[in-house]
Amino acid sequence: MTMTRQQFLTNADLDVKTLEFWIEQHWLIPTETTTEMSFSDKDVARAHFIRDLKGDFGVNDEGIDVILHLVDQLHGLRRALAELTRGMPESSR
Amino acid sequence: MTNPYEVLGVPPTASSADIQKAYRKLAKKLHPDLNPGDKAAEEKFKQVAGAYGLLGDAEKRKRFDDGEIDETGAERPQHKFYRDFATSDEGHPYADNSGYADFMDSDDAFAELLRRNERARANRRGHDLHYRLPIDFGDSITGANKHLTLPDGSALDVTIPPGLLDGQILRLRGKGAPGSGTGGHGDALIEVEVMPDPRFTREGDDISLELPISLSEAVLGTKIRVPTPTGAVTMTVPKGSNTGTTMRLRGKGAPRREGGHGDEFVRLKVVLPKGPDPELEDFVSRWGRKAFNPREDGAS
Repeated sequence: MTMTRQQFLTNADLDVKTLEFWIEQHWLIPTETTTEMSFSDKDVARAHFIRDLKGDFGVNDEGIDVILHLVDQLHGLRRALAELTRGMPESSR
Repeated sequence: MTNPYEVLGVPPTASSADIQKAYRKLAKKLHPDLNPGDKAAEEKFKQVAGAYGLLGDAEKRKRFDDGEIDETGAERPQHKFYRDFATSDEGHPYADNSGYADFMDSDDAFAELLRRNERARANRRGHDLHYRLPIDFGDSITGANKHLTLPDGSALDVTIPPGLLDGQILRLRGKGAPGSGTGGHGDALIEVEVMPDPRFTREGDDISLELPISLSEAVLGTKIRVPTPTGAVTMTVPKGSNTGTTMRLRGKGAPRREGGHGDEFVRLKVVLPKGPDPELEDFVSRWGRKAFNPREDGAS
């Protein structure tokens, strides 16, 4: 499901300033069209994750950068591994 | 759910600072997004988060200690974790393959598999998109250029080749969804629906048409205009034509695969004027051959 910036702020329980900072840091990458941004459920879940890290775990901004980078690599590896165990991706069958 | 103090591993006398410390220590280890492959972590994390939801709030902790609420009293609303989305689809902006980029430089079989996957993903062809396009019977015979407006507001120019049949599918190469890398666009597949025409019927490459004529045109013969898919033409109706007499208009049918065109067959149908016609009745009663019996030659 895609949502507007306002819907995203409500769903992720964020304020505008925080969102702008997170986007500036590339922690969140919304889909941008010429006129507006749109967000997905994945962005909401990622925002919750960042909030848990900052709020509950007391991770500072530098720490968030490091963690997100490692987590994104981990998911890249998991996806590659999943594809290898599943066989070849569809288009090369 | 077990006792929240036990879940967090702190004594009931623990300070709020100790509780927070204990929670952070466990949560860091158990957070599902820090354990993408561990299903059990999520359950344990929920317990820890629930326990902290209760004990981390001074007022709730007091009410729990006083026995006013039980350990289920402070469960946090659950949301979906990022890991549930992160691996599922590819090409999202957070995807990062640098974690195994070095493996792909080696020569072993595993690296080859990785490389092949990577290439396939990077250069995947876009999906084919399916559309339906209704066209007139005449256009299906003669061919036409059609403008198809797509759901997203863009448009496709579709060339209908002559002789197209109902249900035939046209493939427009590269007009489907965009691919990634050098994968290119998929194709647009357009199923053509030929709208029936009340006048014409198609049989293979030929088309047929039933044409009403008057009694005098049938008896005396005439020249009349006959519709064809490419416009009306003049046809000679010979003297003494009858209902069922079929005329052939050569080359006015659908194009043949091997070249040339099928024919249009015009089946005549003699139609008397509507309502009683005293003049006609008078004439027929005086008609010399009223003894003519069309059933004599075994037709009855």
